[in-house]
Amino acid sequence: MKATINQKEISFEPNQTILEAARANGIFIPTLCEYQSLNHTPGTCRVCLVEVHRPGEGMKNPQYLTSCNTPMTEGSVVLTQTLKIQEMRRFQMEMVMADHNQDCSTCTRQGKCELIDVANAVGLKQVGFHYTQGWENLKPDTGTKPVVYDQSRCIRCYRCIAVCRKIQDIDALETDGWGSTAGVRLKTGVYESSPCVSCGQCAMVCPTGAMSERDQVQRAVDYISDPDIVTVFQTAPAVRVDLGDEFGFLPGSNVEGQIIAALRQIGVDIILDTNFGADLVIMEEGTEVLERLKTKAGPTFTSCCPGWVTYAEKHFPEILPMLSTTRSPQGAMGKMTKTYFAEKRKIDPAKIRIVSVMPCTAKKEEAARLALSEGGVPDIDIVLTVREFARLIRRYGIDLSRLDPSAYDDMLMSEYSGAGAIFGTTGGVMEAAVRTLYYVVNGKELEGIEVSSLRGFENVRSATVDLGGDLGKIRLAICHGLRGTRKLVEAVLSGAEKFDFIEIMSCPGGCVDGGGTPRPKKTYIPFAKKRQEALFTLDRQKKPRQSHNNTQIQALYADFLGKPNSEKAHHLLHTHYKSRKTHNDADIPAAWEELRKQKDR
Amino acid sequence: MNNLIYGVWNDEAYDCRQTATGKEPPRLRGLDDFAHNNKTRAFVADRGFLVFERDTSLIKAFCQYMTQAAKESCGHCTPCRVGTQCLRDMLWQFAEGKADTGILDEIEKMAEQVANTSLCGIGQSSPRALLGALRHFRSEFKPISPAQAIFQHSFIYTTAPCVEACPSKVDVPRYIDGVRDGKFDFALGIVLENYPMVGTCGRVCVRFCESACRRSMAEAPVGIRQIKRFAADQAITRDRLHFSPSPVQHDKRVAVIGAGPAGITCAYRLLLEGFKVDIFDAQQAAGGMASIGIPSYRLPKDVLKKETEDVVRELGGNFYYGKVLGDGLSVDDLLDNGYNAVFLAYGASQGTRFGIKNEYPDLDGYITGVDFLLKVYQCVENAQPYKLSGDVVVVGGGNVAMDCVRSARRLGAKNVHLVYRRTEEDMPADHEEIVAARNEGVIYHFLAAPTGLVVDNNCVKALELVKMKQTERDAKGRRNVEPIEGSLHTMQSDLVIAAIGQQVERNVVKPGDGIELDRYNCIIVNPDTLETTRKGVFAGGDCVLSPQTLVHALGHGERAAVSIADYLLNGKASVKPEYRLQDVLKKNALLKDECLKNSVVSIPRAVSPEIDPEKRSRNFDEVEHDITKEAAYKETERCMRCYRLYSLVTERELAGTLA
Repeated sequence: MKATINQKEISFEPNQTILEAARANGIFIPTLCEYQSLNHTPGTCRVCLVEVHRPGEGMKNPQYLTSCNTPMTEGSVVLTQTLKIQEMRRFQMEMVMADHNQDCSTCTRQGKCELIDVANAVGLKQVGFHYTQGWENLKPDTGTKPVVYDQSRCIRCYRCIAVCRKIQDIDALETDGWGSTAGVRLKTGVYESSPCVSCGQCAMVCPTGAMSERDQVQRAVDYISDPDIVTVFQTAPAVRVDLGDEFGFLPGSNVEGQIIAALRQIGVDIILDTNFGADLVIMEEGTEVLERLKTKAGPTFTSCCPGWVTYAEKHFPEILPMLSTTRSPQGAMGKMTKTYFAEKRKIDPAKIRIVSVMPCTAKKEEAARLALSEGGVPDIDIVLTVREFARLIRRYGIDLSRLDPSAYDDMLMSEYSGAGAIFGTTGGVMEAAVRTLYYVVNGKELEGIEVSSLRGFENVRSATVDLGGDLGKIRLAICHGLRGTRKLVEAVLSGAEKFDFIEIMSCPGGCVDGGGTPRPKKTYIPFAKKRQEALFTLDRQKKPRQSHNNTQIQALYADFLGKPNSEKAHHLLHTHYKSRKTHNDADIPAAWEELRKQKDR
Repeated sequence: MNNLIYGVWNDEAYDCRQTATGKEPPRLRGLDDFAHNNKTRAFVADRGFLVFERDTSLIKAFCQYMTQAAKESCGHCTPCRVGTQCLRDMLWQFAEGKADTGILDEIEKMAEQVANTSLCGIGQSSPRALLGALRHFRSEFKPISPAQAIFQHSFIYTTAPCVEACPSKVDVPRYIDGVRDGKFDFALGIVLENYPMVGTCGRVCVRFCESACRRSMAEAPVGIRQIKRFAADQAITRDRLHFSPSPVQHDKRVAVIGAGPAGITCAYRLLLEGFKVDIFDAQQAAGGMASIGIPSYRLPKDVLKKETEDVVRELGGNFYYGKVLGDGLSVDDLLDNGYNAVFLAYGASQGTRFGIKNEYPDLDGYITGVDFLLKVYQCVENAQPYKLSGDVVVVGGGNVAMDCVRSARRLGAKNVHLVYRRTEEDMPADHEEIVAARNEGVIYHFLAAPTGLVVDNNCVKALELVKMKQTERDAKGRRNVEPIEGSLHTMQSDLVIAAIGQQVERNVVKPGDGIELDRYNCIIVNPDTLETTRKGVFAGGDCVLSPQTLVHALGHGERAAVSIADYLLNGKASVKPEYRLQDVLKKNALLKDECLKNSVVSIPRAVSPEIDPEKRSRNFDEVEHDITKEAAYKETERCMRCYRLYSLVTERELAGTLA
C-alpha cells in the first residue's frame, strides 16, 4: 500500500500506524509516552501529531492526528513538519509541562529525562499556565520499599504498568487518582500484600523521575564523613560494566579500576569486591546442590537474585523448599565482613558500615531482611544502585573518565575468579557452579572451562551437562525475566519439566541490565549483549577461572569456616524463606469510595 | 414549543434573534416540558447548543459545562486533563469580568486543541458546542449579570451510547477502564453500584450495550460482556466477594415478592441503604428465571447463588421460600404485618401455548418451554430423574427456545429439532446461541409454523406444520411471513416444546388488593418511580414489563429501590432528573447517528474459549469460559470511551429531584 509523507512516496503494511510507517522510512516524529520496545502506545501524551489529508479531499480538509495510534491509509498525504503541526506540538508540550513538577534539581533524573528531550525536540520556549492541584500536597514517600513513586513527576505514559505486565507478568501496578492527580500506585496500596517484587523495571522505562530507586546517597556520604565509622564498600559483578554509561564510556566498558580509584579518592576505608562473595556462594551452593543430587532431593533453584526470592515467597511459596539456602553474594559478603574480616583485621564490627553497590533495586529489600541481620544489626547497612553510585561519585566532584584505573589491595576479600565475574549475566551463576561441581565430582578441572551450552540470551534455556562420576548427566535450566520464570516454575511444580538445577534472574538480561542500572532512554535494555560480552571477556582474562581455585576463598575456609556447608558456614552463610502469599477480599467499599472521589472532585 | 432564539446544532448555526431564520431549527422533544414551573433556558450537548430564552447567559452555561468536563476528565491524556481545566478557568475569568474579550481568542485556540487532539470522547466532544458558539455567536459572550447569576442553573449528565442503551444504565466505559487499569475490584464495584448479579449478567446478558457500541463501526463491538464477566470472576469464582450489613440501620421493613433479578437487586440496594428486607419466593432457591430458566451450562448455579442468596444474606436480608403471593399470602397481610413497603417482582413464568388443534392440557409429550426448563432444573440441580430419547421438537426463536434445544440434547434426545416461523436472521436469540446449538447437533427448520398436534391415546406422536414464506417488504422495510398453501406436513416427535413466550400469571394480584393491572395482567406503574396504584406498593421486572430481559429486571430492581428508599425516608418517591434526561436522549436518538471521525488501528475482538461441542453436548458443565487476563487487557484497549456531556440549563436548580 502507498501513501506519502512529506512529499516522499512510501509503502506500508495494512494496519501499520503513521508513526511506524514514518519510522520505517527514517522520518522523525517526536514521541513521548510511546515505548517501541514494549509495543506500548497508550496515546496519552498526544504529542506525536501530524497533519493528514485523505485522498479525494485535496488539501482542504486537514486532520490533525496522533501518529502513534492512527493507521496509515492508502493514498493519504501526511505532513510532519508544517508550521501548524509544530505549533500544536509545542502547545501540547506546554500542557504536559503545565502540571508537571519542574523542580529538576531535586529529581533523581536531574534534568536528564525524556521529557526535556521532547520539549527540546518541539522547541518549547515557555509554559504559560500551571495546574498543580493535588500533587503539591502529597507527602514524600518515606517508607522503606526500594522503588518510590513521585506522582508530581508522572506524565501518565503508563510504561511502568506495561513493563510490569508485558515483560515481568507481575502486574503489580494500577492507575490511581483522577484528572490532575492521575498516576499509578501499587495494587492493594501496600507493598507487602502487593504482587510487587521490587525488580525496578518500572524505573528503567520511566521517561521521567516519577519511578525511581529510594535514594540513599546521603546516608553513604554520612558514613564516609564519620571518622568513627569504618566504611566498607563492595561492588557487585555487574556494576563494573554498567557504571561507565553514566560517565561517557562506551557501553560495556569495564571500569573496575576506575571504581576502585574513585572510592579511594572519596575516602572509603575498605574496598571489597562482591565477586569474592560470588565465589563463596559457589562453594556453598555447589555443595548444597551436590548433596541434593546425591539424595535425589529434587531440583534446586538458585537464591542469589532477591527479586526472584521475593517472587517465590509471594507468588509460589510451594517452591520455597527447592530454593538453595545459601545467601546471595551480597549477604555472604556482609556477614563475612562483620565476622571473619573484622576478626582478622581486629576491627570492632559495631563500627563497620557496609555499603553495597548493586545493579539492583531489590537488593535494598534483601538487605532489610530480618534473616540477614544479627541482634537487630543488619549485615548490609545500605544498598546503592548504580545510578545512586554515580550520583555519589559526582558528589565528590569526580569524573570517572578522567581517573587512572587502580587495583584492589585487600588481602582477604577482594580476589575473585572468572567464575565469580560472570555472576552478573544470565547463565553465569550456573556456569560458575558447573565448573566447581565438575571439579568436586571428578577431581579435575572441566576441559575447556567454558560451558557454551549454558550461554545465550533466550529467556528460558535448558541444557544437559555430563558431570561424570556417580552423578552423570544433569538437567539444567536458566531463566531471566519473570514472565518466563512463571512458566518454568509452573512446569516444575506440575512435573511437566524435570530439572536438577535452575538459575533464575528476575531482570531480563540478568544483573547487568538490572533495575538499578543507568536508565537508557526510549529503548529497553539496549546494551545487554555488550555487557554480557564484557563479563565473558573479564572471565577469560582472569586467573583462576574457578571459584574453588580462588586463594582468598581457600584461606577463608582454612582459617575460619572449615569446609563448605560446615556448621559454622551453615550458621553464617545460609538463610531461610517464608511464604508471603496473601489473600485479599475484594474491597468494594474502597471501590465505591474511589468512585465517589472521581465523581465529586 | 421549543422557542429557539439561537444556537448551533451539528455545525449548523441558527439565528432567530432578530427574525425567524429561514432554516427549520432542530426540534428536540421533551425539553420544554422537562420540569414543571421551571423554564428550560438552553440545552448544551456534544453536537451543539440551543438557547430558548433571550436572557440566557451563554458564558455561564459554558462555564458550568466545562467545569463538569474538567471533573469528568480522567487525566490520562494531556489536552483533556490540562485543557479542560484551562478552558474552565478562562471561561470563569471572562464570566466574572476579570478578563477582556481578548481571552476569547485564547479560549478558542485551547478549545480547538482539546477537541482535535484528545484521546477519548470527553475531550473530543466537550469543547465542540463552545467552539460553535465562539465562531457564530461571539457577541453573546458577556459577563454574567446579577440576575443570570441567580436565575440560571445547569443539570449536567454524562453518558455514552453503551450506557444509554443499557436498561440498568451501567457505567460501561468506567468499568472497562477499571479492567484496563488493572483494578478489577474497582471495575466490579462500578457494576455493583447498580446490581449484585455481575457474574450472571457477564454470562447471559443480551448486551444492548454491545449493540450500541461505536467500535462496531471499526471491526466489531467491544466485548463488554466478556470484560464484565472477567472482572466479576476475579472476585466471585475466587471467593473474594463478601458483604457485611450496612453500618446505618433504619427500622423500616420492606417485603420483596420474588427472588428473581428484579427482587434480588431491589433487596440488595435497600439492604445497602440499611433497610430491613425479607424476600418471599415460590421456589426453594433464589434467582427466579435466571435460576430455573437459564440452564447451568450457561450459568452455573454456584455463581448465581453467590450473587443472589449469599449476597442478600450477608447483607442481613431473609428469605422465605415456598411462599406464593395470591396463595396464602397477600399484599394486605404484608402491610398489616409490619412491612412499610412492598416490592412486587413475581415475574412472568407461565409458558405461552400455541393455540393450535389438539392442544389439550396434560398431554403426554407436550410441554411449554418454561415448564420444560423447570424439569431440567429439578433434574440437574435436585437430582430428580428426567431422561429424553427419540425426537424432540422445540418451537420458537428466542433464547428460551435455545435453552430448550441445548438442554434436550444434554438430556439424551436422539434428534433435536428447532422450528421457527421466520428466517434465521429474524431469530431474536443471541447469534452465539444459535451457532452453539448448531454445533451441538441441533437441526433447524426455518419458515415453518405449527398448526396442530398429532395425538394418539393422549400422547403426542407428531407435530403438524405448515411451510411459511416471506412477504414483500412493507413501507418500513420489514418482511412478514405467511403460510404457503398446501404445504401441511408432519414432523415425528416424542416431545413437543412450545417455547414461544411467557405470560404473567393470573390471580397473583387479586382485585381486592387495590393494584391495577393491564389487560395482559401486567401491573400498571408510574414508569419513573415504579409505584403501583396502591400507596407503598411498588412493582418491577417481568410482572410489569411482560417477559423482558435479565438486565431490564436488574434496572427495575434498582430504580424501585431508589423510589422505595425515597418513599420510606421522605414519604414520597420523586423522579430523578437524569431519568427525564435519559428519556430526552432516547426520544431524540441523540446518541445514535454518529460515525467514527478518525480511523482506528484494528484490534480483533476477543473470543471466549468454549468447551468442544463433542465434549459439552451431553453434560451441563459450563460451556463458555473466561478470557485470559492478557485478552481482557487487549479487549479494553478497544474501548473508545465515547462519553458525552448533556446539560439542561434551567431557571431554577434541577439537581435533586423533580415533582
